[in-house]
Amino acid sequence: MENTELKKLITELSGLMSISGFTSVDGDRLKSLLGDIFDECESTPAGNYRFVKRCGRENARKILIDTHFDEIGMMVTGIRDGGFLNVINIGGLDTAILQAGEVTVYGKDENGVRHDIYGVVASTPPHLRKPGDAMKLRDISEILIDTGYPVNELGKFVSVGTPVGFRPVYSELKNGFIAGKAFDDKACAACAAAAIAETAREDLIGDVILQLSNFEEAGGGMTGALTGAFAEEPDCALVADVNLGRTPDTKKSETVVVGGGTAVTLSPITDRRLSSALIAEARDAGIKVQVCVAAGSTGTNTNVINLAGKGIPTVDVGLPLKSMHTSTEVISMNDAESLKNVIKLFISSGKIAAEI
Amino acid sequence: MENINENSRPSGIELLRTLCGIFGPCGNEERVRDKIADILKDSGIASEKDRIGNLFVKIPGGGEGYDPENPVKIMISAHMDEVGFMVRDIDADGYIRFICVGGIDPCVLCGKRVVFMGAEGEVKGVIASKAIHHKTAEERTTAVKIENMYVDIGAEDYEDASRWLAVGDYGRFDSEFVRFGINDAFIKAPAIDDRLGCAVIIETLKRLASEGKKLPFDLIAGFTVREEIGKSGAGMAARRFLPDYSVVLESTAVADLPDVKPNSRVAAAGGGGVISLLDRSTIYDADLVSAALELGEKKGIPVQIKKYLSGGNDAGSIHKSAYGTACLAISAPSRYIHSAANVICAEDYFSIRELVYAILTEHSFKK
Repeated sequence: MENTELKKLITELSGLMSISGFTSVDGDRLKSLLGDIFDECESTPAGNYRFVKRCGRENARKILIDTHFDEIGMMVTGIRDGGFLNVINIGGLDTAILQAGEVTVYGKDENGVRHDIYGVVASTPPHLRKPGDAMKLRDISEILIDTGYPVNELGKFVSVGTPVGFRPVYSELKNGFIAGKAFDDKACAACAAAAIAETAREDLIGDVILQLSNFEEAGGGMTGALTGAFAEEPDCALVADVNLGRTPDTKKSETVVVGGGTAVTLSPITDRRLSSALIAEARDAGIKVQVCVAAGSTGTNTNVINLAGKGIPTVDVGLPLKSMHTSTEVISMNDAESLKNVIKLFISSGKIAAEI
Repeated sequence: MENINENSRPSGIELLRTLCGIFGPCGNEERVRDKIADILKDSGIASEKDRIGNLFVKIPGGGEGYDPENPVKIMISAHMDEVGFMVRDIDADGYIRFICVGGIDPCVLCGKRVVFMGAEGEVKGVIASKAIHHKTAEERTTAVKIENMYVDIGAEDYEDASRWLAVGDYGRFDSEFVRFGINDAFIKAPAIDDRLGCAVIIETLKRLASEGKKLPFDLIAGFTVREEIGKSGAGMAARRFLPDYSVVLESTAVADLPDVKPNSRVAAAGGGGVISLLDRSTIYDADLVSAALELGEKKGIPVQIKKYLSGGNDAGSIHKSAYGTACLAISAPSRYIHSAANVICAEDYFSIRELVYAILTEHSFKK
């Protein structure tokens, strides 16, 4: 898959609507984007999507690749006069980025047919700011979304509980950096799917299951990853999620460099032998890797997958990302390429297979 | 509205779309000016620019009631500039530190797409600040100061960023023209303030030209610079032409939101052009205000009075220029003004267009 194709897949997957708890909304579109790569595709009771590519051998190993499919967003809590909506956040949403932003309200008509409505997040008119309140951030309960619909028309498509997401718009920055919504974590999903697509069946070291899990951002404890891993009982797992990228306001020790290659997190909860083998293999292959550490929590689905069932040796890899949880998350296509290549190694390398 | 020509609506919207798409922060209006001059030229209307960057169209009066010895002079103006940004510094890591050009609330900046104009052309970026994961509990309830924001253009370091941008380069919001709401009744775009005023003037000049109408006064149409900082271009224009009357076309912030008390709402989107009685910089000419309101009523053109003392516009410099000038301001009621997402009701654009035409062709301006 060429870099431009990978970029297209990243923006297509990231542009889907898959707010935590609503991962089925664009499920058909997801299947049409990835279906050809895999032998099987199904959804699970937790709202995960499970794509399988078989190696063609009997009693093969089961390799689980997990990326979460859910994204942060909002949900309607009230419909107001003039066609405005009150909302609440789903997941860790920073209200500092909302005002004058663009959203999509994922409404439905009376027949249950999807009816997307464009919205603008209202900003506070300056004359209404009280002196001293200039730096006070509005609480999410005070945020209004302007739909341009009369309230009675709006009620036909929107109700309390209707999800609202960032409008998918993608910008090309310099050096192959791109900006847009929900690269967390669908950029990783795209890299994993591309890696699997590029690996011939006979080169797979086992059956590969790509798990696009629900409920990482919200929903009480990475339920999608936990239940999916429990049901799968894989021989090992690789979790690919985004890593906090270094910016002028962060500590070097707590972040990774965007453009610096794939992040591999070492932790008591990740499998050190597998992780070390993957790092060595990647470096041998000339793939840029940066190593970071975490103690009890990697902040990713690794937290629950390593514990699932009888225990699963897990490797945690990441795509460095800046402005996390905004509509303008920034990633490097070079890093995406590296991540794809690292995942290819993980599912095809004999040295990895020897460690399982 | 009795006069409105249904067929002219799509072309009016397209003109607004074109103008809102042009890069033109305050002090860097040349692209807007060139485009307006081209559009006018295509309709056979000549324009000229002054040394400060304003663009003018002069239409001599004639016919009944015109006094060639001592003509009444009327200036109608709109500003070409928009709020924007300027590169203040480039970090060692290649991030762009910026200042705002014009009044922008810091609360509308984080997470927005921007575009800067470097020597080699457009450079896209996003306004970033600390990710929520790194914020303390207190930081999560506090707006981010502009000094703690930076534009990420994807540069690797200072050297890399300096290949495309330099201190002083201008930027604007990178935001599309979107029609939305019921029956696409609303428009969201950057720089509706005040490309809408520019569009109304262009359409009015074209209409007058196509109808071959002679007005009983000399008309000066001014597309002005630098409203967002100091309202200066329009004042210079007024001192150049010494108009007896001036009509300023603008955008005004409205607050027609559900949680705002009625007396703080300023005006309402969809209610027609907003006529100012007074604002923070001008007391408007009472006769012109009455005339505009009466014409609106007589011709069925929606018009509303600005109900809150706030803001200001080019009239603030025009009314006190030279010997003084009687001013009227007609503003588009605009939500979320000075942000990436100005929102107006399309119908207000048409209402203002009709009202301006009615004032110029039906009001009797006395020397």
